[in-house]
Amino acid sequence: MVVIAVVAAVIASLVAVLIRWLPESASEEMDRITFVYWFATIICIGIFALVAAVIIEAVWAFRVQPDDDTDGPPIHGNTKLEIAWTVVPAILVIAIGVVSAVVLSKNANAGSDPLEVKVFAQQFAWKFEYPGKVQSEELVMPLHRSVEFEMQSADVIHSLWIPQMGQKQDVVPGITTKIVITPTRTGDFTLICTELCGLGHATMRAPVRVLEQAAFRRWLDEQRAAGAGAGAAAGGTGGGQSSGGGSAAGDAALGKTTFASAGCGGCHTFEPAGTDAQVGPDLDNLVADAKKAGEPEAQYIEQSIVDPDAVIVSGYQPGVMPTTFGKTLSPAELSGLVAFLSGKEAN
Amino acid sequence: MTSTLDQHGQHELQHGHPAPRRRGIFMRPGYLRALWVTPLFFLIGMYIVVALRALAGWDPVYDWEYIVLVAGMVTAPIGFLLGIGTFDYWLYWISGRPTLVDDHANHGAYSWKDYFKVNTDHKVIGIQYLVTTFFFFVVGGFLAMLFRAELAEPGMQFFDTQTFNGLVSAHATLMIFVFIIPAFAGLANFAVPLMLGAPDMAFPRLNALSFWMLPVAGTLFLASFLAPGGAFATGWTSYAPLASEQPFGQVFFNMGVQWAGASSIATALNFLVTIITMRAPGMTFWRMPLLVWANFTTSLLVVIATPFIAGSQFFVMFDRVMHTSFFTPDNGGYVLGYQHIFWFYSHPAVYIMVLPGFGIISEIISVFSRKPIFGYRLMAVSLIGILVLAFSVWAHHMFVAGMADWLRIPMMISTLLIAVPTGIKVFSWLATLWEGKIHLNTPMLFALGFISTFVIGGLSGVYLAAVPIDIHASDTYFIVAHIHYVLFGGSVFTIFAGIYYWFPKMTGRMYDERLGKLHFWSTFIAFNVTFFPMHWVGLDGMPRRVADYAATYGALNMVISVASFVLGASVVIFAFNMITSWARGPIAESNPWRAMTIEWQVSSPPPVFNFDEIPQVVGGPYEYGVPGARHAVLKGGALQEAHV
Repeated sequence: MVVIAVVAAVIASLVAVLIRWLPESASEEMDRITFVYWFATIICIGIFALVAAVIIEAVWAFRVQPDDDTDGPPIHGNTKLEIAWTVVPAILVIAIGVVSAVVLSKNANAGSDPLEVKVFAQQFAWKFEYPGKVQSEELVMPLHRSVEFEMQSADVIHSLWIPQMGQKQDVVPGITTKIVITPTRTGDFTLICTELCGLGHATMRAPVRVLEQAAFRRWLDEQRAAGAGAGAAAGGTGGGQSSGGGSAAGDAALGKTTFASAGCGGCHTFEPAGTDAQVGPDLDNLVADAKKAGEPEAQYIEQSIVDPDAVIVSGYQPGVMPTTFGKTLSPAELSGLVAFLSGKEAN
Repeated sequence: MTSTLDQHGQHELQHGHPAPRRRGIFMRPGYLRALWVTPLFFLIGMYIVVALRALAGWDPVYDWEYIVLVAGMVTAPIGFLLGIGTFDYWLYWISGRPTLVDDHANHGAYSWKDYFKVNTDHKVIGIQYLVTTFFFFVVGGFLAMLFRAELAEPGMQFFDTQTFNGLVSAHATLMIFVFIIPAFAGLANFAVPLMLGAPDMAFPRLNALSFWMLPVAGTLFLASFLAPGGAFATGWTSYAPLASEQPFGQVFFNMGVQWAGASSIATALNFLVTIITMRAPGMTFWRMPLLVWANFTTSLLVVIATPFIAGSQFFVMFDRVMHTSFFTPDNGGYVLGYQHIFWFYSHPAVYIMVLPGFGIISEIISVFSRKPIFGYRLMAVSLIGILVLAFSVWAHHMFVAGMADWLRIPMMISTLLIAVPTGIKVFSWLATLWEGKIHLNTPMLFALGFISTFVIGGLSGVYLAAVPIDIHASDTYFIVAHIHYVLFGGSVFTIFAGIYYWFPKMTGRMYDERLGKLHFWSTFIAFNVTFFPMHWVGLDGMPRRVADYAATYGALNMVISVASFVLGASVVIFAFNMITSWARGPIAESNPWRAMTIEWQVSSPPPVFNFDEIPQVVGGPYEYGVPGARHAVLKGGALQEAHV
């Protein structure tokens, strides 16, 4: 039996070591998670090997012919053995519990100087806000500095996860949730939503970049400068409400960013935006669809954003697209989207 | 050998009641009556809605969502139950018309047709449960094949995402609510009264009603595919507030759960009363077979926990149809409240789905090792330990949900501690095997297969209990792997083990051992190839419940999909074996396994009223190898021929 147990343990260990079970860590938190993972794995391999060895040995050594009518020895129990297999597992799991508790408290600790990033989730897009009201659809993080996320949802529950960074936290409407991530290597990653949030759930992702601290500061400054300009432009057109021919190109640029930030690409194919999702109608066919509905194109597009169930393209269901965009988009963003979608080039 | 029809006649004479008037074919309980009473009740429900809307001046008066909800999901099912005849006796009694206390007209099965009628015999109901739940198992498995086809390659091939989410949700819902939970109720229905030495369950008519509520629940779940917008698509967990905003199919889930839950609760009460009050003389608690212990603790779990899921689904539905705000963030609703209430049922539900299996495995391991169960009392006590701990771990499903931080550590500790009583059971089974005389018949193969896979499921549970690992693994395919190791490798393996074990007792015929072994090995191998790689893709970064995924997981998902089709095909072997063996398998002896528990001391199949004389219990149920030991003494009932 000892031989079988050793063989089983070796096989289980090889399976544990040879397959790269966890993604290569990219955060301090994931380093600690990986430690707990291996701590538990060692204990589990031991238990698995023991159970496998007993089953195999028992079947091997104690199997009898079908016509053997004899009974086994009437052993009813063994108090010492029963105490042992109550106490030893209890000690082992408590050990896992203690290690986990220590790691948990470390992973929740943002340190003295965290970068605070606000996260806004909605069906089916992510938006990140840096200090100084800098908004971005891409999550950019500085290397070796704890980032503390403060997360809010506009509609249903979403969940933020970057697999290489381990940490995960639901984003819940009505409350603010927090999570800490401290990146340990630069590179590109993907943030994915892990809580089923409706149609576009599978494609509700956001790009993640980790930069050296100096590069991160440069990026933030650039965003600040660009954001101030775009904000002024948006304020100008939004306040004026007179989107003549001259401002249409400006609108389309804002429309392009709005298309990304509002998550349109999570459900719709639109070539100029480079999206290929197939949940909702293909927006490259808007001209034909508007003609079918018998409405001017711009009016058709605006109506479809604000009141999506007014006209349903054949082959699609009503009640699927969120009806909240009329409220969540500013008038400037809305007119920008209409301009962008009706094919006016973004400059 | 008297037939019950004769007994029926004798009882009439003894009691002096006139027999109820023989009614016309459309008035007799049965499908023809259900055929007109069900639509009638639909119309009643419909015009209650229409009348109220007309009175209130609401437009439109014919609002089909409300009509389908009230008439289709509440009154029409009641009409069906009335028509089929589950309420007849009670209605006679209530209205003061003559009833026969000992009317056994609907008791026992004399031809295959009797299995399609309302019947009060626990053995018939047990088989009705098993066949019905097997149907839903096949449908649920078929849905899984459909979405595994979609997942075989990255990108979208066959379905849109709403349909995909609907398939995933319906698969889990059918498997949990109308397969695993009621399949155990079916096995226990058949075995528990016999094991106790009781003539039937305590409340046979309630037992029949419990069964007939199941097809209603299953039909509602499946009918959701016909709803505009498709089937409910929020997973079997159906989290608010998404669930209150989804298309109308979601309501079919909310209401289907009510019918399945009511069925569960009624059955559990029936088991509790039966086990407490109907044990044969000498059957002390410490002489009960572990299957009875397991169903006793399971029934306690059901009775205490199930009302919570009923409440949670009603509240989600009220948020939709009455615009309450239990779980919506506006107007003071509490989004996480849903998860707390849902998991307060659904974690104990995991034990509802596995404790009866523990009981089945204890019976089989002891009989096929020809040894007493090692540490019988600790085995029973560990069931109670799991029962108590089961109510203190629900929030381990919510480690990333945003609940109060302080709850994490205590919930982690109690979750880890559940490994202790579970470990006791596994180690005791292993010790029972040790030095036994092991016979590897199909039930035993499934029992050993169960221990192997369940240990893997239990160990992955230890990973998930550790909060930091859970934070990484939560809502990924690691979870999918874990629940299938627990619910397929755990529950489904034990259901198969139980069906093979009691098949000769249920049908009086023997299944084909070679096909049984083929079924075991194909299931065991395909199961592991399907679900083990899911641990890997999950930890590496593939979330669950996604129709599309990153291209890097394409190869493994192809392997998983192909293996899942093999797993589906292995069920065909099982079905073929069951059907052909029942029809023309070799006649089974009354006790082919040389077991000591009472059900094996009567004929196969047992007499309609189980025992001619109530057995006297004189010792423990697993005294194998003890010279001259007996569990029970039966007079007359033993080896008596079946009535058929």
